[in-house]
Amino acid sequence: MLSIKNLSVKVNGKKILRGIDLEIRKGETHALLGPNASGKTTLAQAIMGFPGYAVASGEICFGGKDIASLAIEERVKLGIALAFQHPPAVKGVTLSNLLGKISKRTVKTEEFIANPKLLGREINVGFSGGERKLSEIMQIVGLSPKLVVFDELDAGLDLKNLAKLARIIKGKLLENGVSLLLITHRGEILRFLEPDIVHVMLDGKIICSSDDWRKVWRTIGKFGYEKCKECEFSSGR
Amino acid sequence: MKNARNVNFLQVDNRSPQLITKPEVVILPSAEAFAELEWVRRHFRRRPQEGYFIWVKEQIDCPLTTCITLSSPNVFQKPINLIVVEKDVEAEIHGVCNAIKENLCGVHSGYSKVILKENSKLKLRHFHNWGRRDEISSSLDFILGKEAKLSYAYKCLKTPMKLKTKSNIHLEENSSASLTVSVLAKNSKIDMHDFAFLDGERSTGILRIRMVGGTNSKIVAHSRMIASAAGTGHVDCMGLLTADDSIINAVPELINKNKKASLTHEASVGRISEENLNYLRSRGLTENEAIDLIVAGFLGEEDPLIVKGRVISSEPYM
Repeated sequence: MLSIKNLSVKVNGKKILRGIDLEIRKGETHALLGPNASGKTTLAQAIMGFPGYAVASGEICFGGKDIASLAIEERVKLGIALAFQHPPAVKGVTLSNLLGKISKRTVKTEEFIANPKLLGREINVGFSGGERKLSEIMQIVGLSPKLVVFDELDAGLDLKNLAKLARIIKGKLLENGVSLLLITHRGEILRFLEPDIVHVMLDGKIICSSDDWRKVWRTIGKFGYEKCKECEFSSGR
Repeated sequence: MKNARNVNFLQVDNRSPQLITKPEVVILPSAEAFAELEWVRRHFRRRPQEGYFIWVKEQIDCPLTTCITLSSPNVFQKPINLIVVEKDVEAEIHGVCNAIKENLCGVHSGYSKVILKENSKLKLRHFHNWGRRDEISSSLDFILGKEAKLSYAYKCLKTPMKLKTKSNIHLEENSSASLTVSVLAKNSKIDMHDFAFLDGERSTGILRIRMVGGTNSKIVAHSRMIASAAGTGHVDCMGLLTADDSIINAVPELINKNKKASLTHEASVGRISEENLNYLRSRGLTENEAIDLIVAGFLGEEDPLIVKGRVISSEPYM
């Protein structure tokens, strides 16, 4: 589904990603772990095609099509979606208005939020951390995507809210065969969504990939990300 | 006007108007009211030729609608209107002034006086929709009696090449007025003056101006709150530039003549943030669709998209 080969990306002329290879198949859940400033969000933004994230070399293919030259909205139409870590406040535009404009299917909002007043509020204006995440997931479910990149879904959420989001993601996305790329620094989301493959990114490179997320996470928890450089758990995938 | 048959006052070009009256309301052409009702005369400087007189004597259960339209080339309209809402009465009026074609080169110079008597309420929604070669001026005086409440919303999303608007709101004791002006300018020069006079104790005024400067447009907006009594006033003036050749000059002014009065203002003029555009594009909207959505939200447009608690796609409605 998503095939990234030898991808290098520059931001403001500085090379941030260096030769990334990543293959995500239909229905697979991948996690991308890494410390701050390792390039995880840059990869997410490059997959979406945000301006300022220039592909210096390599390719990004989705569904067999090279998407490197496509605009953001064209990538969305192909089925790629991104849930932002820090979605911006959009004054004047209510959540219900945006959902109505973008949704390819009816979104039963009561399955996401208990308080329907959230729908009438301007997007992310005064939203709590949990409300922002729910708003992001509602929008993404409405888009009916094939691949969703979650950027730091677990940042700023308590375990109860994280469990709730994970239940929604399983019910609305995974059970419909949607592929996920979970970008995470702390890794708490892994327990709830149990990725098929976990990758570790350091200094703009994926230095370790494994199908045993528990081992990788335990190692990182014990020794920190530096240990991953030795990559002893990599499956060589 | 899509459904002209339901319009209470309809004037096309300079032709005689069509009227639909209601028992609770007197609706007449201004000229006729001037001739028939002596007390009306003191509200006009001279005998009006065009325009309407609306006298809401009792409570009405649905909005009144008026429409003054340009439909032929080179027409000069000069409607003079008078609206009177009686004591303790609540009313809603929707007024439309428009041109049905783009290149009529019409001139519309309107004046309206709106009188709200003690403890009355009026919600007045005023829509302008013009052709690009029209020249328009619109002037309103609002006189609010004690305890009266006014909600006035003016919206012009299709601007003519020249548009001048002027609103003066005079507030007596315990009265309140909220004025919202929303203008989307393209190939236009727009000059707006919106003034509120807090003449009575505990009067409250809010001026809310929203301007979008599109291609080849210049907007100057003077928004002034003047307190001569111990009232409260706020001016909120926001502009959004969507084209490189647009200019917005926002001039909020506070004039306080009474030390017990409280006046505040906020103002900003800027561009749509790239972060917001990219966020909306990441939801599948094109750049132009994202701009339209932000502009519509900024100007206060919302589509009714929640049906029985469900958010549904707006596509079938667009």
